Formats: sequence, C-alpha cells, structure tokens
Amino acid sequence: MEKGKNMWVRVKSLIPGDKLILIVALIIVVAIFSSLNGNYFSWTNFVNILVAASLIGLVAIGHTYLIIAGQNDLSPGSVAAFTGVLCATLVSMGLPFVLAALVTLLSGVVVGLFNSWMVNKIKIEAFIATLVTQFVFRGFAYILCDGRPVSITDSAYLSIGATRFLSIPLSVWIMLVLILIFGLVLAKTKFGRSVYAIGGNKDAARLAGLNPQRIVTILFVIMGVVTALGGIVFSSRMHSGQPAANVNLEFDAITAVVLGGVSFTGGVGDMVGTILGVILIQAFNTGLIMVNVPSFWQYVARGALLLFALTSDYIRKTKREKALLEASKKALASNN
Amino acid sequence: MAHSVEFKNITKYFPGVKALDDVSFCASGGEVLAFLGENGAGKSTLLKTLNGDYQATSGEYLLDGSPVHFRSPHEAIEAGVSVIYQERQILMELSVAENIFLGRMPANKFGWIDIRQANKAAAKIISEFGLPIKPQTKVKDLSIAYQQMVEIMKAYSRDNLKVICFDEPTASLSDAEIDSLFAIIAKLRDEGKVVIYVSHRMSEIKRIADKVAIFKDGRYVTTKDARTTDESELIRLMVGRDLGDIYDNLDRNKTIGDELLRVEGLFSDYVEPVSFTLRRGEVLGFSGLVGAGRTEVARAIIGADKALGGKIFLEGREITNRSPHDAMMNGIVYVPEDRKTQGILANLDVSKNITISMLDRNSNAIGVLDTKKEEKIVEDGIRSFSIKTPNAEKKIVELSGGNQQKCIVARWMATQPKVLILDEPTKGIDVGAKSEFYHMICQFAKQGLGVILISSELPEIIGLSDRILVMSNQRIAGEVMREDATEERLLALAMTEGGKN
Repeated sequence: MEKGKNMWVRVKSLIPGDKLILIVALIIVVAIFSSLNGNYFSWTNFVNILVAASLIGLVAIGHTYLIIAGQNDLSPGSVAAFTGVLCATLVSMGLPFVLAALVTLLSGVVVGLFNSWMVNKIKIEAFIATLVTQFVFRGFAYILCDGRPVSITDSAYLSIGATRFLSIPLSVWIMLVLILIFGLVLAKTKFGRSVYAIGGNKDAARLAGLNPQRIVTILFVIMGVVTALGGIVFSSRMHSGQPAANVNLEFDAITAVVLGGVSFTGGVGDMVGTILGVILIQAFNTGLIMVNVPSFWQYVARGALLLFALTSDYIRKTKREKALLEASKKALASNN
Repeated sequence: MAHSVEFKNITKYFPGVKALDDVSFCASGGEVLAFLGENGAGKSTLLKTLNGDYQATSGEYLLDGSPVHFRSPHEAIEAGVSVIYQERQILMELSVAENIFLGRMPANKFGWIDIRQANKAAAKIISEFGLPIKPQTKVKDLSIAYQQMVEIMKAYSRDNLKVICFDEPTASLSDAEIDSLFAIIAKLRDEGKVVIYVSHRMSEIKRIADKVAIFKDGRYVTTKDARTTDESELIRLMVGRDLGDIYDNLDRNKTIGDELLRVEGLFSDYVEPVSFTLRRGEVLGFSGLVGAGRTEVARAIIGADKALGGKIFLEGREITNRSPHDAMMNGIVYVPEDRKTQGILANLDVSKNITISMLDRNSNAIGVLDTKKEEKIVEDGIRSFSIKTPNAEKKIVELSGGNQQKCIVARWMATQPKVLILDEPTKGIDVGAKSEFYHMICQFAKQGLGVILISSELPEIIGLSDRILVMSNQRIAGEVMREDATEERLLALAMTEGGKN
C-alpha cells in the first residue's frame, strides 16, 4: 500500500497533473470499450485508431497554434475535402503526383492567406470569417469535380496511404513527426513564444515590439498547409478525392485540442496535450462505432464530449484565477 | 427613520493589487458624505463594492445596521443602493419615462405595458425635480446634464431608495447645471437619504458635503467636517506628507547633454501637430488633463498609431517608426499607461514578460531561443530593478502592481534604449514603490537616457522633470522650466482653450 502511494507520487512528479488526467481518461476509455467489445483491445485496432486520428492530428496542430493565439478556424473540413479533390483531379489530368501535391499545398497557403486577410484586414472574428471559407471551399470541392468523387490510380499517390514503416502506416508517421516538430517550435522558438504572447494580450504584445498581424497570417497559412497535407493523405487512403468528405473534421480537432488543455481564452496550452487529446477523441469515436452506438447517438455523444472538454477548460481557468489571486495576496502581504 | 450605510474592515484583493485595505466608514441619512482621495486611492473600488459590482474579500457591509452581501448591482438596487456613474447607464433609444421605469413598467394583468401611466408617473417625478423635460422625449435627444438627471430619477423612483452615490457627477456639467444638480442632491439629503459624493474638486466638496471621508492608497485615513476643515488640511491628509520629502531627496541628474530627439510637426488621427526636442540626460515632463493628447503623442512617436505627417530625428538622423517594433529597433521604447491591458502579458511568467522584446536578439538563425541568454537578462532585470518575486517562473500577475511595472521597465531597459517614454508609470502603485520609481527615473537620466514622463500627478511631474510641456486639446499649450513650475501654472496652461470642444 505504502509502496503504491510512493509510486503514485513519483509518477505525478514526472508527469504534470493535467496530462496525467488525460492519460487516466485514455486508460478508462480503452478499458470501457475493451470490456464492451473484445476486438477493441488489439494492436490492429490501436493502429486503426492512430490512422483515423492522423487527419485530426494534422488539423489539431493548426488549431493548437491558432487557439493559443486567440484565433480559431472552422474551415479545415471543407478545405481537406477540397484539397483531396484538387490533388486527385490534377493527377487524373496527367500531372505528376509530386507536382500535383505541391500545387495542392500551395492552395492551402492561399486558403490561409484568405482567412488571415479576413481576420486582419476586415476585422472579422475568426470564428465567423472561417465559416465563410468553410462554405466557399465545400462549394469549390463540389464544383471542381462536378459532385462526383475523383478516383485515384496513380501508384505514387496511392503509396502514401498504403506504405508502412515499422508496421505503422506512413500517414501516422507524418502526423507524429509534424506534431513533434511543431511542438518543439511552439516550446523552444521565438515564434512559439510570440504565439503565446499575442494570445495573452495582442495589444500589449504589439507595444512590446511583436507583429500580431503577421503572426496571425503565418498561423492561418500553417493551418492551410497542414490541412492540405491531410487532404492529400486522406484521399490517398480513400483511393479517391471526395467532395463530401471530412464534414465536422474541425469539430473533432477543436475538441481534441481543448481536451488537451488549450484554453479558449488564448495564451495557454501545449502540443503534448494536443496529441493526447487527439488520441483520446479518436479512441472514443472508434469505440462508439465498435460497440454499435447508433450513428445518430454518436453525434450526441461527441457533442457531450466537447461540452465536457469546455467544462474542464472552464474549471481549469477558474482554478488558475483563484490560485493567482491567492498568490498575489501572499506577494502583497509579504511586501508590506 | 434615518438610513445608514457602514463598512467595517473591508478588504478587496485583485491579482497584483490590494485595492482596499481594511477600510471602515459610516454614512448616515440626512447628510452628504464626500469621498476624497487621489487617483488610485480606492474610491471607485469602494463604489463598486457598495453597489455589488465587486464583492469584498473580507469585512462587513452593513445597510441600516444589518449585514448585506450583494452579488450584483441589481441586488444592490433592489435593496435601495444606487450609484450614478460618470458613464451613463441609460438606454439612449428609449424615452425618459421608459428609462426611469426600466424593468418595472406599469402593466395591466395581461402584461400589456401601460405607457400612459408610466408617463404620468414620470411627469410627477420630473416636476418634483423641477426639470423642463418631457417623459416622452428620447434620452439621446437630451443634454448630458439631463441624461444624468434621468439616471438620478431612475434611482429616485424606487420607493425604497436608501443610499445614492455620485461618481464625479460634475465632470461634464456647466456651472448652471451643477447648481441644479446640487439642488437635487440637497433635496435627496433632506428626505433622509444617504448621499455619497465622489469628487476631487475641492470647491464642490466644500459646497455640498457635510463630512469628508479621506482615502489614500486603498486605506481609509479619517473623516472630517467638510465646512470647518480648511482645504490645505484636506489636501495634506489626502496626499500625505511623505511625498514632498521624496522629491527633495532625489539625486537628480545635473548635467544635461545635447539634443537626442527632435520631433517636428508630428501628428496622427488623435493628436494635432506637435514639435519639441529632448536632450540626453533630460527628464521631459508631459502634463495636461486626461484626454489632452499626451499618450497619443507617445503612440505617434513609437508608431503605435499611424503618424500622418511630421518628422522624427534621433541623434540628428531622421527615423520613421511604422510600428512599436521599428521604434524599439531605433532605440525608442514606451511603457504604456494601462499596465493591465497594454503592458503585461498576463498568461506568461516574469521571465517571459521581461524577455519578450528580446526574442530576436536571444534566438539563433532558425529561431531557437537561447535559454542561457534569457536567464541572464532576467537575472539582471530582477536584480537591478529589485523586482520582488520568489522566482522568475512566477506568473507576472502574481506580483504586486509596482513589481509588475518594474518588469515592464526591465523588459525595455534590456533593449538598451536611448529614449524611454513612461506613461503614468506610478498609477495605482503604492507609495513605497513610487519612490523607487522616482529614483530609477533619475538614474536613467544620469546614464544619459532621454526620459519622457507623462503624468497626471502634478507634484510628481514638477518634482522629477527638468522641463515640462503642457498639453491641452491635442496640442502643446506651453512649456515651463523646472524653476518656474508650480501646480497653478501647469493647471492654467492645461485649461487653456479648455472650453473649446
């Protein structure tokens, strides 16, 4: 008993409390679904969860940055569908895959520039501005292929979804590597620091010599590019570019990011939380399917999960504020 | 029955600030109690505690002798406590009567509003107040003075009004309007209401108040009889004696160098063309009333607001600042007026707040930050500005206001600037920290920096500046040398063209 307690203390000192809760939550989710369906607890299923999480993970990178900076983006679902269709169309027109992929990534840059232009120059709230993009690019996706999925036969293109490395699919590796890189950038570089600064207080950050508008532009461009990459990978896995795909992708990504501890008020969060959040939400979504929850009820369950994430965000925030008040009381008392 | 309101040992904390420190006072019906104190003395926090906007951290709030805990202004109003704020709290698109009875319009049993009865009831109150306005008039068509009257009538129309507080009510009124306001305050007093009157206009307090409660740095000092206590005594109690000595003991820079900064005809959307020079080692004061354009000059210089014309020369070389970043690279930095909304990054710790302007210089070619370099800057900052913090990883909001402000100064001094602009640097910080800042400013001047000091506190600006520019109506109204500076002289200049709006 005593020994177990010590272990717990050691684990707690190694892993910060908020991450520990996520890990515990993940274990609980896995335990529950495994007990309901024996097939859930298997290597194949875990790999499947990671594969399904890979698109959410890419988009969640963008959301982590944007929400920390006090922004948001509701367009990735449409943009992923659009870029998937675009890449498939370009390849079917005879363009080499590498070139088509580059053009598609470039279209992601354009989407990002467009979003940031609305936010920076017309001063539209990101939430509403990106709703515009969500609709416009869903439309473009349908227009581009006249509403019919574009099938992919190019072997180089298909290999993205099919290749495995160490028996884990390439799409998972792409997500993990990018999360690692962007996590390091967020934690260790001046750019990452600037993102936290403008999320904490845009005006103060500008007066301190930062350029919030430029940072916001870069963030939307990052989001556009990772989403386009996600669109390419996803279309490869599906063997076709589908204009109706990826609806509510942003919903899952935002839920994951908020679960991971990024605060909707901006300025708080990190990439470790995001990856845990991404895996947690996909473990949850996959579980719902595997235990045959009717699909209509899956919507309700996912909504409830977002509500849970937002509630814990609120509780964390209140706790932080309370702790700060206590600490400043102490600071003042010791000053006088 | 005479009403009364009493605070017993009320303390109110905000992150980084002890806004009210063990405050006690008592006001009874049938007399006007004035709250007197400098900016930051805690008057507005008191009012917000009175009307339930804030809840005291500790202490007792007694209304008519029994303890109350208001969770919102609504609850306070329901209990008979109303505050008339400087900013109008009325709905411009509604009529006078609708505003007076907002939320409790007379209605028939179907919930259908009886506008005729509302107008009749409003007309009765209006005639009691002796005002020439109609119940049907939309409030936006009234003068500011009458809009304020509507607010007072709104409070008055409640049968149970016990306490009514006025927050700087005469700020935008003419003399005749002040007369009629005072007549109404006298009427409220004679009806046995508790009237609390907040102002720092001494003449008004002498005229309307019976008693004066004096506050200083969030503490209650004493209560005096308004009529028998003379003004200088009240001022002495309000300001406290210790500051005079502080200024006299400062080790001021005596060798002022050659020209460092020259501004020629600089203007923006918010300020008329201004021209002035600043010399090395000089402390140049910017005085004037709030809203005179002092902050706007600073913002135009550093490129926070777009300069629409004019030139800036630094060390004889013309420079252009399109953003605060440009200004920083050129060596001009600005410590903003509102620490909370423009200075600190509340989500980050002390260390990151200090190094935020050094990101370029502390990172390598691919943008990775050098934590050793950062640590060194933070250590230097904490030591040289004696920032009181247990460690550099504390969130900045955990520090007291004065220490937060020191972090902002440390942030800028790390960039080794040539010109330091301080905008109300001692606003809302306690006396001890103030004097530390004064020494710091003199030290900066000695190091050869040009310091621009924007301040609304006249003794501060007179005590520290070598030369003072007084602004009025977005222009420089005059220049006063240190030897000739008196509070009267600065005020007179600040008021020039004051009536021209």
